[in-house]
Amino acid sequence: MKLTRRLFGAFSGAALGLATVPLSVQGALAQEASTLVIAVPSDPAGLEPGINKAEPIGSEIILNVFDTLVAWKAPDFAELEGRLATDWTVSEDGKTFDFTLRDGVTFHDGTPFNAEAVKFSIERTTEMNPYVEATLGLIESIETPSETEVVFTLSRPYPAFLSILAQPQSAIVSPAAVEKFGEDFANNPVGTGPFTFRAYQADTRVVLDANADYFRGAPKLERLIYTIIPEASTRRLELENGGVDIIQQAGQLSAVPSEEMAAFADNADIQILESPSQIIRQLEFNNSLTDGPFTDVRVRRAIAMAIDYDGLLSGVFDGTAERVYGPLTSNSWAFDPAVKDLAPKYDPEGAKALLKEAGVDPADLSVKLYSFQGALWGAVATFVQANLAEIGVDVEIAQTEFPSYRALHVAGEWQMALDGRQPWYNDPDAHVTIGYLSSLKDSAMTFRMPENSELDAKILEAQGEADMEARKALYSEIQKEIVEDVPGAYLFSPKLIVFARSNVDGLVVNSAPPLNEYWSVSKN
Amino acid sequence: MFAFLVRRLLSLLPVLALVLVIVFSLVRLIPGDPAVTLLGPGATDSQIAALRAQLNLDEPALLQLWHYVAGLAQGDLGVSLKSGQPVLDEILLRLPATLEISIAAVLVAILVGTPIGVLSATRPNSGFDHGVRILSLTGVSMPAFLLALLLQLIFATWLGWLPVSGRMSSYLFVDNVTGFALIDAWLSGEEGAVQSALLHMILPVTVLAAFLAATLGRFVRATMLETLGEDYVRTARAKGLSRREVIYGHALRTSLLPAITVVGLKFAEMLGGAILTETIFSWPGIGRFMFEAIRNRDYPVIQGATLVFALLFMLTSLLVDILYAVLDPRVRRKMR
Repeated sequence: MKLTRRLFGAFSGAALGLATVPLSVQGALAQEASTLVIAVPSDPAGLEPGINKAEPIGSEIILNVFDTLVAWKAPDFAELEGRLATDWTVSEDGKTFDFTLRDGVTFHDGTPFNAEAVKFSIERTTEMNPYVEATLGLIESIETPSETEVVFTLSRPYPAFLSILAQPQSAIVSPAAVEKFGEDFANNPVGTGPFTFRAYQADTRVVLDANADYFRGAPKLERLIYTIIPEASTRRLELENGGVDIIQQAGQLSAVPSEEMAAFADNADIQILESPSQIIRQLEFNNSLTDGPFTDVRVRRAIAMAIDYDGLLSGVFDGTAERVYGPLTSNSWAFDPAVKDLAPKYDPEGAKALLKEAGVDPADLSVKLYSFQGALWGAVATFVQANLAEIGVDVEIAQTEFPSYRALHVAGEWQMALDGRQPWYNDPDAHVTIGYLSSLKDSAMTFRMPENSELDAKILEAQGEADMEARKALYSEIQKEIVEDVPGAYLFSPKLIVFARSNVDGLVVNSAPPLNEYWSVSKN
Repeated sequence: MFAFLVRRLLSLLPVLALVLVIVFSLVRLIPGDPAVTLLGPGATDSQIAALRAQLNLDEPALLQLWHYVAGLAQGDLGVSLKSGQPVLDEILLRLPATLEISIAAVLVAILVGTPIGVLSATRPNSGFDHGVRILSLTGVSMPAFLLALLLQLIFATWLGWLPVSGRMSSYLFVDNVTGFALIDAWLSGEEGAVQSALLHMILPVTVLAAFLAATLGRFVRATMLETLGEDYVRTARAKGLSRREVIYGHALRTSLLPAITVVGLKFAEMLGGAILTETIFSWPGIGRFMFEAIRNRDYPVIQGATLVFALLFMLTSLLVDILYAVLDPRVRRKMR
């Protein structure tokens, strides 16, 4: 082809034109009132119970496509209600759980839901999902006396088992679909839930369509779209432009979106939904150390008294976090209000006096404060550093990238560290056992509690106690004992925050995992 | 020519092997373990150990390399640690999206950059020339992410003319047939789909094209000025050809030769630049895929995507050499 000037000019003109001519975009496509678009930061890690590892995006999608036997009741999420089970009993020894199942429910592929499907699903997940080894792994046998009855027998009493059954890992899958799709079931999930799976386009979106035959009634929306937008600023622009209806703050280590809060507060098109969470962020002492100043409880208490908790909430978090006083958040059913009085209070003078009493010169206490990376953690660490400087303690901040931080923390090569825990199921066990049982101190990022046969025994007893009142009493004792020992300073509990367009109606933000359900949501 | 091609293609192999070994070692040197990253801060050691075993990460690194190379020989790039899907499928799924904006950006850059360079060269030191120089300097030096955010803010938020991100409106449902949004939109026949796909392409393509267009414009201007001073151009003018015929019939062709090298090299570079652009515009290509993979320490994906990038880079430079041969008889003779 010969380059002629005319041809050249025509092409170039067209290219320039394409780049500069304004074209109206929003008007061309009518926004569908029955489609809800949710922006999430990354792809779901798996769309089916067998591979779910409590990753939030996949978990939420699973709970909108599948059902569990039981679920936490909105809006308080403090009590379980039946879903695929209508009723259940727990044996006195706390080892046998007998469920009556809902009759007449069908999977999205038309096959019937029954006791066999429950047995199949739970056994399948237990076998293929290493994440539930310590929980569903307690199941000794699953019996199916009839089509509508299923009986689980555990190897030891475990009251949190009901809570585990409300988790996405325990959702009930269609056995026929698993057989049909085999390995590919993860790309073709089939459950009984309010939405049926329509499509997953990697890095782009997950599309769910309403299940008109849902046993609790058809959802109000016709379609649910999870659109994947990795950049926070892009998500924000999309919400402001109306390109998406909801943006979520997912990810355990994500920053509290105070910038967005400020930007959205005056925007009439956007509503801010918030809910207290069960997440706890704390300053931990390495309680396993056998020498050094922090082995003295008075020194630990002095550090905890030097921190201005309310100042942290208003100064760094601007209302997006709440106070936390001990090993459980105030919204947990097992929380004992007496802990509020026992917890160390902000009192720098008292802290100095306590250090003096312990015979410790604050100038000798210079210590490294380890932390996760990120602006939020940096701000918290700096705040604590300033607080401790006021009582004369010199703190050096070491923000460390997550995987290496975990390695360092688990190896116990530190004195003071910022850490946090997001319970993956709704039970005090999820905070207490892993955080404070001395035999688990090296198994994760924990308080590294020293051996204490009395406390350890109590924690194990509470974990297995079948009587709920007795269990609550045990947790009450545990909380008080832990708080008096000051294994750390409990800093704050971030709220769960969802930004939605103002025409989104009926969304209840779930304070405990599993996450939000869209069955009751509509758009005006 | 054929022998040359075979020779060149074979010479790619040792380079690819070297790239493979370097990447394989580098990803394992980044602190952090994929199993730890996948499970997050709350995980226990036993959960992590179980996942490591499931992902075969508990094998010695050399054994992992051996398994990887053995798989590679059969065209198997391994399985993504995050999704559990074959890496090759995952990459092929995303390649069209990257190619779509990259090719569009190269076309736009050539069609905008070349005429601007020619016009500047033929009117040196005019007002037009100065304006273009300022613009192209800006284009070369402005970081892609800044330009991307600025364009989003101006054209999507303030003016509302263009969509913020993505490849198509969320409310449209177009089946993925070819992976190229524009073609799929056209095939689907759904109303407004083609328009939506086009509108979504404008901002990312502009960002990718800006740097290349600016580089190309400056380059063409320089080579054109040089060419216009050559003897044969004077001869052509002396022969009685018009200025226009000389510029477009003779000088441009010669000036374009070195420009092809620039376009070829920058195209490959642009694939790398696609990482940021794709992330900001939520464009589901391999750049963004790789970015996510690095964050998740998804070793097989990082390895696979790097190999694909390396291969594309090498094939592009091979293509440039071939184009050179086609356009320049002197080079063609040397190739035999």
